[in-house]
Amino acid sequence: MSDAPDMPEDDVLAAELVLSLLEGEEREAALRKYGRDPAFAALVADWQERLVAMTDDIAAVRPSRRSRKKLMKRLFGSSFVPLSERLWVWKGLSLAAIALAAYMGIQQLGPAPQDADARVPVYATQLTGDATELRVLAVLNPATSQIAINRVAGEAAADRVFELWAILPDEAPVSLGVLPNNPAVRIALPPDLVTQAAQITLAISDEPPGGSPTGAPTGAVLAASPVSEL
Amino acid sequence: MDLQDIEDLIARVALKDRDAFSKLYDATSAKLFGVALRVLNNKAAAEDAMQDSYVKIWKNAHRYQSNGLSPMTWLITITRNTSIDRLRARRKGHQDIDMPGFELAARGPSPEQSAIAASEAKRLMGCLDELEGDRGAALRGAYLEGKSYAELAETFAVPLNTMRTWLRRGLISLRACMSR
Repeated sequence: MSDAPDMPEDDVLAAELVLSLLEGEEREAALRKYGRDPAFAALVADWQERLVAMTDDIAAVRPSRRSRKKLMKRLFGSSFVPLSERLWVWKGLSLAAIALAAYMGIQQLGPAPQDADARVPVYATQLTGDATELRVLAVLNPATSQIAINRVAGEAAADRVFELWAILPDEAPVSLGVLPNNPAVRIALPPDLVTQAAQITLAISDEPPGGSPTGAPTGAVLAASPVSEL
Repeated sequence: MDLQDIEDLIARVALKDRDAFSKLYDATSAKLFGVALRVLNNKAAAEDAMQDSYVKIWKNAHRYQSNGLSPMTWLITITRNTSIDRLRARRKGHQDIDMPGFELAARGPSPEQSAIAASEAKRLMGCLDELEGDRGAALRGAYLEGKSYAELAETFAVPLNTMRTWLRRGLISLRACMSR
């Protein structure tokens, strides 16, 4: 067949992929192309957008309560522990990492004040990239209103930067700034975050130089983890 | 809950916020279950497909890139594809449903504005009905019933190559109609 001039072969292929019409080697080849050709991936996304309208008139059907419970159990274990209780974080966080974070963080933050402030707890976490090498240790000291950051592994992509975010439960992420090239830095924590330090989840996103232009993460979230008391 | 709220919830799910995930489920599960039921036509299978979809959503929310259109497209596409995979596994009589979830992949480091307008997508139904012969029905069969070229050729009793040519021409007309 001949293609219409305004509908190149790739656009038809993108539609066929979205419709799941391709099988075997043809499908594999299209998937490989999707993975390495952003222009083709954009055509696929456009067809997803066009064809999803076929589901517009499908009526919503409330699934059973049992189904919801089963899903939550499958994802979060037998009991759904709210983020604020943070018990589960220990599963993903080795003691060695915490000890290292504490050592580096406390070194970096200097000697703890000798007065009553010394009893203020210190919080720490390790941020590990899902799909990247990124590994960052963070120690948060409410007594000095500072976070000590140690980037142990991982580099920002070319012409991209890492931006650090603090998230309180039910609130939008607050930018703590772009991480400089220097792997060890100290970042000041805004006063309203200091008072709720125990509730903070730290996250790192991939952003254009200078940081997110919108005030909210715009690129991929590379790593996120709640802090734990040391 | 409007589309912006859903987008915000997905952003928080990307940060592993369980409370946001719970809210996202409550806001979207009826639609996603409806879609899974439409494809699979079986309550138990649809519940399984919906659960698998939410597991993918939880694990891949950080890959979601807002493109200025509806975040429901992302959620529904995941559910439709997961349901189709399950349906095909059932048809073939085996349980290999670990098809690559290509719809989950990120589109690049920065959100790209989609080339198509929201109003354009809304024209789909009218345009499907305008297509020559059974082409609209064949495209619906592919999208909602996971029919391959071979199965569609059988359904419409035409040779495989004819079906291919036919549907490809249908897609070209469809796109022309939608961007009119």
